[in-house]
Amino acid sequence: MRCKKATELMMARLDDQLDYQSALLLDEHLEACSGCRAEWRRMYALDSLFRSAPTISAPLNLRVQITRRINRRERARRIVVGSLTLALGTTTLALLSLIPIALGFAANLGVAPALLIGGVETASQLLTLLDAVARLIIVLLDHFAVPFIVVSMGSLALAVLLNGLWITAMRRLHIAG
Amino acid sequence: MTDEGQWIAAARDGDKAAFGHLVEVYQGPIYNLAYRMLGNGPEAEDAAQEAFVRAYKYLKSYDPERPFSTWLFSIASHYCIDQLRRRRIDWLPLEEEIAEPVRLASVSPNPEAVVTKRDREAWIQALMGALSPTDRAAITLHYWYDCSYTEIADVLDLTVSAVKSRLYRARRALAEQMEGEAYAM
Repeated sequence: MRCKKATELMMARLDDQLDYQSALLLDEHLEACSGCRAEWRRMYALDSLFRSAPTISAPLNLRVQITRRINRRERARRIVVGSLTLALGTTTLALLSLIPIALGFAANLGVAPALLIGGVETASQLLTLLDAVARLIIVLLDHFAVPFIVVSMGSLALAVLLNGLWITAMRRLHIAG
Repeated sequence: MTDEGQWIAAARDGDKAAFGHLVEVYQGPIYNLAYRMLGNGPEAEDAAQEAFVRAYKYLKSYDPERPFSTWLFSIASHYCIDQLRRRRIDWLPLEEEIAEPVRLASVSPNPEAVVTKRDREAWIQALMGALSPTDRAAITLHYWYDCSYTEIADVLDLTVSAVKSRLYRARRALAEQMEGEAYAM
């Protein structure tokens, strides 16, 4: 038997996977080969040392610490998601309330028609439409200025109210978590 | 369905108490795995916590056809391997160790006698410290959990032949280091 094969059999013996016949062959080789005998002695000593090593017990409060860490991560995730939602919602509502005013200004300054000159066809059509809407709003503003301001302020107030509701909901989730 | 299967199913639906049962069952093995790989209590505790947090986070991606223990060991092992790589310890590559074996005297010392002179645990951890992170994981799974080659391969995302090869090299390196230290006594 070659030493390489003997090494394979040594590993198999350490792992209790050596059949009787192979065990006899290995023992014969170990009798005759001092190098493999030394190798086997080293391997066996290592195996004995590691197999005798105990399992280390977990700290008593590990489960509590794990639960705390999971709750902490979940809270952090909720805060991030909540903050992003809040920022997005506020921005959207604020923009919605400002769009009519912006369009009115654009129409008054003649910006929209100027952009039409060099724009592509689709953009031109869109801007033409927006221009028409803006002109309509200007006309409406002349007659319904007060109601329009009320609608704009209402949108802003709604944004503030939704923010408040969201923050309250987040606090409750914190307490529940 | 077994208790464990029910806990897993409930935990996947967000039941923290059910996940708590799983933590109760596996906290010991996972902590021991982390301790054997990282070599100290505080880091092992942190790694065990992180492994369970990740398990909770990715529980929906767990395949129930696979043993839960294997999945959990895989998360913990890979986390510990990453931690060890971050440490950037200047450990000696195994190939060099094998290429330059420790010289043997004519008479081998009795390793058991050496063990009694030193703290056995500290010695084992010192020996483990010379291994690469993946070999350390393979040795831990082999000696402390009696994992088969196939199970180790599954946990560490390796082939069975790679596991055999790693275990052989690691054990040989450990044995030589052990004997070398014995002569240094």
